[in-house]
Amino acid sequence: MQVSALTRKLWREAQSLKGQILTIALVLAGGIACFIALRGTYSSLEWAREAYYDRYRFADVFASLERAPESLVNRIERLDGVAAVQTRIVKEVALPIEGTTLPAYGRLLSLPASGSPATNALYLRSGRLPQRGATDEVALLEPFANKNGLTVGQRVPVILNGTLRQLRIVGLVLSPEFVYAIRPGALVDDPRRYAVLWMDRSVLASAFELDGAFNDVSLRLQPGASEAGVCAALDRLLEPWGGDGAIGRSNQVSNRILTQELSQLRALAGMVPMVFLGVAAFLVNRVLSRLISLQRSEIATLKAIGYLNAEVGRHYFALVGIVLLPGALLGTVLGWELGRRVLGLYGDVFRFPDLSFRLSSSLLGSAWLVSCLAAMGAAFFAVRSAVRLAPAEAMRPPAPAHYQRGLFERLGLAAAIGATGMMVVREVARRPLRTAVSAVGIAGAVALIILARFGSDSIARYFEATFRREQRQDLSVTFSRPVSERAVGQLARTPGVITAEGQRGIPIRVRHDHRVRDSVLVGLPEHSELRRLVEHGGREVPVPSDGVLLTKTLGQILDVRVGDRVDLDVRQGKRLPVHPLVAGFVDESVGLFVYGKQELIEALERDVGAVSSVLLTVEPDARANVVAELRRSPYVVDVDDVREDIQRLRDMNQSIMDVWTVVSIILGTSVVFGVVYNNARIALTARSRDLASLRVLGFSRREVASILIWSLALDVLLAIPLGLWLGRAWAHLFMLSVDQETFRWEVIISPRTYLLAAVVAALAAAASALWVGRSLDRLDLIGVLKTRE
Amino acid sequence: MNAAVDLSSQPKPVLSCRDLHKVYRMGEVDVRALDGVDFSLFPGELLVLLGVSGSGKSTLLNILGGLDIPSAGQVYFGEEELTQADDEALTLYRRRNVGFVFQFYNLIPSLTARENVALVTDIAQDPLEPAESLALVGLADRMDHFPAQLSGGEQQRVAIARAIAKRPALLLCDEPTGALDFKTGILVLDVIDRVNRELGTSTVIITHNAPIAALANRVVTLADGRVQSERVVAKRAKPSEIRW
Repeated sequence: MQVSALTRKLWREAQSLKGQILTIALVLAGGIACFIALRGTYSSLEWAREAYYDRYRFADVFASLERAPESLVNRIERLDGVAAVQTRIVKEVALPIEGTTLPAYGRLLSLPASGSPATNALYLRSGRLPQRGATDEVALLEPFANKNGLTVGQRVPVILNGTLRQLRIVGLVLSPEFVYAIRPGALVDDPRRYAVLWMDRSVLASAFELDGAFNDVSLRLQPGASEAGVCAALDRLLEPWGGDGAIGRSNQVSNRILTQELSQLRALAGMVPMVFLGVAAFLVNRVLSRLISLQRSEIATLKAIGYLNAEVGRHYFALVGIVLLPGALLGTVLGWELGRRVLGLYGDVFRFPDLSFRLSSSLLGSAWLVSCLAAMGAAFFAVRSAVRLAPAEAMRPPAPAHYQRGLFERLGLAAAIGATGMMVVREVARRPLRTAVSAVGIAGAVALIILARFGSDSIARYFEATFRREQRQDLSVTFSRPVSERAVGQLARTPGVITAEGQRGIPIRVRHDHRVRDSVLVGLPEHSELRRLVEHGGREVPVPSDGVLLTKTLGQILDVRVGDRVDLDVRQGKRLPVHPLVAGFVDESVGLFVYGKQELIEALERDVGAVSSVLLTVEPDARANVVAELRRSPYVVDVDDVREDIQRLRDMNQSIMDVWTVVSIILGTSVVFGVVYNNARIALTARSRDLASLRVLGFSRREVASILIWSLALDVLLAIPLGLWLGRAWAHLFMLSVDQETFRWEVIISPRTYLLAAVVAALAAAASALWVGRSLDRLDLIGVLKTRE
Repeated sequence: MNAAVDLSSQPKPVLSCRDLHKVYRMGEVDVRALDGVDFSLFPGELLVLLGVSGSGKSTLLNILGGLDIPSAGQVYFGEEELTQADDEALTLYRRRNVGFVFQFYNLIPSLTARENVALVTDIAQDPLEPAESLALVGLADRMDHFPAQLSGGEQQRVAIARAIAKRPALLLCDEPTGALDFKTGILVLDVIDRVNRELGTSTVIITHNAPIAALANRVVTLADGRVQSERVVAKRAKPSEIRW
């Protein structure tokens, strides 16, 4: 095939610009990779969720109750908007597995006597489901089995209504209800200690004396049905039967946490690729503008010999294509690999039957289109100047650059920095916009590293706050039902226990006007030592003698102010409604709570001194003994080690944060390297005559290099503080864009993170400047002076 | 082809202009580069436009070649009025009819001699082969060299090969020897002379170098943007006969 001369010109120029093309392609690849990885992970998770929920009939509405006759089902089915109803028996159980330090707990759910459940069907990983009437058969949520080395055919000990039973595992399953299986009240999932089990309903009914009755119901709604309407109607139906209040999907724990994670991912996917694409666009524009100004006479020649404007334009656009193609290919491969890895991290935490990275053609197409638009859009202005160049005008050299005396001279600083220093200052002053845009590009890279790290810093601060100030217990012990205050005294006397403090928590629904949220009313003793209420600023908030304190976010959701009254509907026991005064707010990072004096709950529940959990501090070496002692109590449903919880949350976050840190450093480096390298290359070609002239005049290589390096360093010196500020602003913006109901991390950026971001930028800049600096050694003094401007 | 064009019979000019004006605005002042130029170029003619620096000769050449447009006046290529043409029409005029030779060669440094010529043959109708064109200027053995590997004279000969490869009606040369030493300059003039004689291409050479005028059929002298004088040369000299 005949290759046209213009195509050859293109290839040769591409070769001579290979360093610049490569660095821009890398930045572009970074943008495309982030775009594909983040959006791909997001859409893969979302797709997996939607497919899973749909195929396995994830319920729309959930409600638990004390006990209702099965005949109530007919009335529930007749509720407006209800498509399917599934009643169940659900019980919390203990699993005294040998060889574990802390006991395992679980939720035991019934499977319908015949057929597949109308809601929340199970995905069978291995084995089969328990058979009808099989008294010892159980299906187990797979992660728990894996973590404890349990397989189909083995037996697992479960305490059913006070009786220890060895149940045979017949199947390992996953459930749309437990994509993220977390113990109620826990901070983080713990698949080693939290089990979900399914047995035949008739077996559970006889074990828990619930024949012909149910204590849990879930519904699927008809398309377009009002969730709030159905919840309200269901609540009215279940109220006489001890209904806890129906909740929609958005409040179902597993779904809520998954949704929150998705909202964070979506925010990241929206922000991060834009940095790269913006920087790549800037670099394309810089390099192409420079190339075009260097090729004025060539463009004129092409036009003089009869090339059309469109042909000249196409020629330079083709150069952008040469950057785009490897950038898009590399970005796609990197994005796919990064996406698979990131999704793998999510897959460890969120359990789906089928979670694979989906690189859809629309995702690929939009990634390419966005990057193509960014690069071509940036090239447009440079190419337009080439196309507009009148051939006769282009034959003449461009007018000498216009410089003028500026602020520096007027301040009398010129003498201090000398003539070479003024070369640097005037160069920057002549093109303030170029300097500003370079600085913003580098600042974007600095900000990116901060954005990747701030989560770790914020969580670390949260741990510190929780650990040192708010939750100072070693163990928290939860009882199956409220116990007398004497239990606190008994626990305090257990050998190894230093302090014991009772606490009472009851599930409530809080209302103010039409705004409603489910929450927990926590009753605290007057002088609580172990559980303190602390604001973000660190100020301790006392438990009010009159009224309640609300988590600040809960207050905002309900739109209440100090002095307002809220309606609390207790969702268990005597179910007396109360309307306490709002005495203040607690600015907490996790959850939505209502705090009051213990006496408030006692008044509500009409029992004195009852506690639902006890917080303990223990001698470090007595911890195992205390736990063993607690495990013997039939009333204890859970023993929680706060330090272990925190460590696990830290580990989980760390593994994701570590990946992000490494990725952000690599990508940030590529951005800084790309910006500095291209600026340096352009400065070198644009100013090689000046620099060579200085060499001819007797300046040393080092002196000449310092002029070039100072111009570049100014960009970086401007960029770093800007980047640190931008990173902080970005982190705040990110937190605002994610769902705040469960977690509200205070944006904390440690000095280490600031330092890391600044050092990475400085090192990447230094490395690329040195790389280009080698060219100075090869500066052809005579040749450069002979070059026609 | 006959070297001596018979001007007495006055054939139709291939290129002509009437009352041509060109005013540049340089900052606060207007510079009159051309101030009422009338000029014709006849088929097969070699015309030298003589003038000192700033006399307006490059401006005139640029307008004749369709690189620039006049402030007033008309330019005709045959019957076609170039002053009415838009940018695209001017481009096509250059593409089909005009070969340019510049003082500083204006080769594309990233392309070899052959490829620089191919740049034109790629877009021209019925061009010469690049190799043939380069052979015409005596560069058959330097075809695969890049501009940086060629001497100034060789580079200018590549530029001429590039200009003539499309078999242009017009060859417009702007100070073609301006950047060359005497010996190399003669070599380049010899090539231009040969192209004019052998291919019959109407040629305009602009120069400030008076002895070069001896090569022409006709000499037009420009001063201060006007035609100062015009004379017909009785006998064209050979490039080897001239000295400066």
